[in-house]
Amino acid sequence: MKTRTLFAAGLLASGILAAQPGAAQDNITLEFVVWNYSLETIQDNVKQFEEENPGIKVKVTDYTWPDYQDSLVLRFRGDTPTDVIYGGQDWLPAWGAAGFIAPLDSVAPAGAVDELKKDIAGFALTDVTYKDQVYGLPYYADTISFIYNKKILADAGIAVPTTWEEVTAAAEKLKAGGMEHPIVYEYNQELPNFYDAFVAQAYGRGAELFDKDLNPLFADPENGSFKQLQWIADAYSKGLVQSETHESKIIPAMNTGAHAFTIVYTYVLAALNNTADQPRAGEFALAPMPGTTHSTLGFAKSYVVTAKAAADPARGEAAWKFVNFMAGKPYTVAKRWAVEKGLGFGQLPLFQDKDVIEAWGKWADVKALGDQAAIAKAGTYTEYSSVWSAYFRPLLAKAMVGEASVEQTMKDGADRWNQLKEQFANR
Amino acid sequence: MWTIKHFPALWLLPALLPVALMTLYPVAYAFWTSLHSVMLLFPGEPFVGLDNYKRVVSSNYFHDALRNSLVFTLIAAPLVVIIGTLIALFLQRRFFGSQVVRSIVLLPWVLPGAISAVLWIWVFHPSFGVLNGVLRDLHLIDGSIPWLTSPRLALFSVVVAHVWTQIPFAVVLLMAALSGINSETLEAAAIDCRSALKRFRYIVFPEIKAMIVVLIVYNALTAFTSYDLVYAMTGGGPGTATTLLSFQIWRESFSMYDFGSGSAVAFIVVAISAVLIVAITRALPSDLFGE
Amino acid sequence: MQRGLNPFLTFLFATLIVMFTGGPVILSLIGSVVPDRILLDSSKALFSEGLNFETYRYVFTGQLPDSYLAETANRAMISDAARQVPQSLLNSGIIAFSSMVLNLLIGAPAAYVFARYVFPGKKLTFMFLILSPLVPAVALVTPVYIMLQTLGLVGTQAGIILVHTAKALPFTVLILSVFFRKMPAEIFEAAVLDHCSRFQTFWRIALPLALPSVGATGLFAFMLSYSEYMFSMVLSGDAATRPVSVVMAALARNTDVSWSLLNTAIFIAIVPTLVLVVFVWRFVVEGLLSGAVKG
Repeated sequence: MKTRTLFAAGLLASGILAAQPGAAQDNITLEFVVWNYSLETIQDNVKQFEEENPGIKVKVTDYTWPDYQDSLVLRFRGDTPTDVIYGGQDWLPAWGAAGFIAPLDSVAPAGAVDELKKDIAGFALTDVTYKDQVYGLPYYADTISFIYNKKILADAGIAVPTTWEEVTAAAEKLKAGGMEHPIVYEYNQELPNFYDAFVAQAYGRGAELFDKDLNPLFADPENGSFKQLQWIADAYSKGLVQSETHESKIIPAMNTGAHAFTIVYTYVLAALNNTADQPRAGEFALAPMPGTTHSTLGFAKSYVVTAKAAADPARGEAAWKFVNFMAGKPYTVAKRWAVEKGLGFGQLPLFQDKDVIEAWGKWADVKALGDQAAIAKAGTYTEYSSVWSAYFRPLLAKAMVGEASVEQTMKDGADRWNQLKEQFANR
Repeated sequence: MWTIKHFPALWLLPALLPVALMTLYPVAYAFWTSLHSVMLLFPGEPFVGLDNYKRVVSSNYFHDALRNSLVFTLIAAPLVVIIGTLIALFLQRRFFGSQVVRSIVLLPWVLPGAISAVLWIWVFHPSFGVLNGVLRDLHLIDGSIPWLTSPRLALFSVVVAHVWTQIPFAVVLLMAALSGINSETLEAAAIDCRSALKRFRYIVFPEIKAMIVVLIVYNALTAFTSYDLVYAMTGGGPGTATTLLSFQIWRESFSMYDFGSGSAVAFIVVAISAVLIVAITRALPSDLFGE
Repeated sequence: MQRGLNPFLTFLFATLIVMFTGGPVILSLIGSVVPDRILLDSSKALFSEGLNFETYRYVFTGQLPDSYLAETANRAMISDAARQVPQSLLNSGIIAFSSMVLNLLIGAPAAYVFARYVFPGKKLTFMFLILSPLVPAVALVTPVYIMLQTLGLVGTQAGIILVHTAKALPFTVLILSVFFRKMPAEIFEAAVLDHCSRFQTFWRIALPLALPSVGATGLFAFMLSYSEYMFSMVLSGDAATRPVSVVMAALARNTDVSWSLLNTAIFIAIVPTLVLVVFVWRFVVEGLLSGAVKG
């Protein structure tokens, strides 16, 4: 790292010297790669940045979310010019280890990142940090929530469940009352969030899936995640659960009024409760994740600078300006996402913001949301964890529907983790 | 059949070159990758021989995925051709509204796979699906049938959706092939009072056999390597009920960052496809691949 | 062939075919004009609020549906990706049409010599063409991407056209050679007696006779390109070059798309393509049924 910093400093110095005459005319075009959630908002933000920073242009390339990670890997392998990207907590360590992305300190003025760090929620900061260095600033940060239909529970005289056992009891009562599948579950082994949602439930039970030295703990029958997998398999075998392949289908399914519970990204609540187009808007609320500690999984998606961009001082500087505009103070862009789209944020001061509180009040209990974010924990992400998750998710899927035993699944998962850990240590 | 002494380069090269460009290097690259350990997380790309193939074949998904892919292909490909032939035979006749029906048959064709998946999810969905709604209104069922979420029905449902997307192409080509049949032969056959089935078997089928072979080969390949529709509909589930082999190529490469194993799966798919094609052309001999 | 089925059976079969092939599309038409809040609410009749074209208005003008302007509404379910549909249809039209023209232009001559001539290297080259589509496209994404990156074609329509053309060509050649082979030999013998050159025979005799079949094959090449997703996705850069299959996949998989907005996009994507395809198909069918190829 030291030689690289020195090298970068040298380049920077020579860059400044070389760039002295007519630096302003030197146009830089940043290649900004995103997944296409609200592209018009992204482009509008970009336009504002360009107006404030003459001389820097930003070209936006977008992919769909399910193809995003793969497309980025392809871009890196194909050496396609790429400067600033959306990063995900689960890929960040692998991309860092592969040398695709650069720590923000390598492009930011000294102290700038440390100053911003203070405002970032704990789990979000963990998610953008790899090997003690900050690689990204939050684009949005969110939690996974236990969501229920207030009206259905009230009509059936059921209290909001606080433990998973109570969820089962409530679901069984609803089923006895004629509701075919009280629980909707996002069941898709291809999506990383299939594993994340499982971790969130285990966190509700106060479980840790790994110890400090990254040894897997989940194969122990006493571990909360072991119990939770058993709980899901049990719920499936009792016919309480309906699978959905994607959160976008959970929204209409819940709005038919044929289901009472689901576990999904918190921002989906904004869509569920949207009076503009949902028949049952207003009936949905989030409850603390069932279990003993009611913790849940929090995560952050972030703006990340590529190693390629950081290697060129002028480009790196422009990239930092852009990242700082999108995620730095006064958090205008993060606030815009929160107000207009209901996305969560990693910048804690926004919880105090009047506009945010007002906008969120339309679809959620802001206090409940804040409380949940405060006890949310980050997932365990290592260089090999997304590889492992891709292996483990199909096993989880089989165990949930009773095609494999919970014990064998957890054991296979732990074995594979240990194998990858050792393999990576010896690389 | 006439003879040309030299290779007719002017006639053939324009077609061969783009195919070669998109095939030779990429296939060689993929094959090289399948024999090396190409992993994003591990530097260096050492030669590992057949290790990738061994790992893939012994992995815990392989057995299920291979079985699903074969079942999917063996049901879907013949079904497309059979239904396509029936529709083509039917639409060849003129009747009131025949032109409208001929156009509507093409509808599934103009939809990209992701969209076909959305429409069929809507048909099959357990909560807001149209099929269950209709069956309930007709009082044929009380609750809802889990079309996409019960292991056996899920594979059936995705086959229906897949067949739907492939029918227009089969109909178009078969109608074109049917029209090539000499009308006097057909009239003579009709006068001979053979039954419709016999007329098809002895007069029509031999004439369109070459096209049917082309269609079965095309559909076998398409079904065996398809995944976008299936994965958009079920995500490979429930459990591994609709996990297809072709998708493992993508998974190994881009989810597990193991491009060597991904390419190994691809060449296993190639080998099986080749066997399928040979089997099809043996079972239905035609002059297509001769000369 | 004109006799056989009675009118009732004809009607029954026709209805079955129309329901199976057209049913899901009719669903999307209904979904596009009925807002989610009615569609998902089983207690409300489907058309109790009449037809609602506000999602169409949004796609073409960007003006939000009125319900989104209410005090309590948020914009969580209105995705601007839907507004890319019209442009992407144009892009797909350009890409698919180019791929179709290229396929016919270079595929027809090749199919013709494969069908009617014996020459050295025939078996080898024919087998190469037939076997080339065996390797699944998924496995070739990386090398093709790297290759096109080197050629500077990533993010351009030319790159997508090249890939789609090469992908369809083996099948175009195979299908066309089946048609060329079915032509009666006497026609060609007459041409030889008239001292027609090989090209004249192809251009003046074989091609016009096979025109409806060529049209059918062209439709195939067009549709293969139009519906291809994987290469379109990795090779297209931004909204200005992006084909409709990629935009539709984004809509189908993004969270901020209401059901009726999605169906509106689907229906807008269907109509122009359908008009085009039906137009070509009518020409093909009329040609076929009028017996152009019959000997």
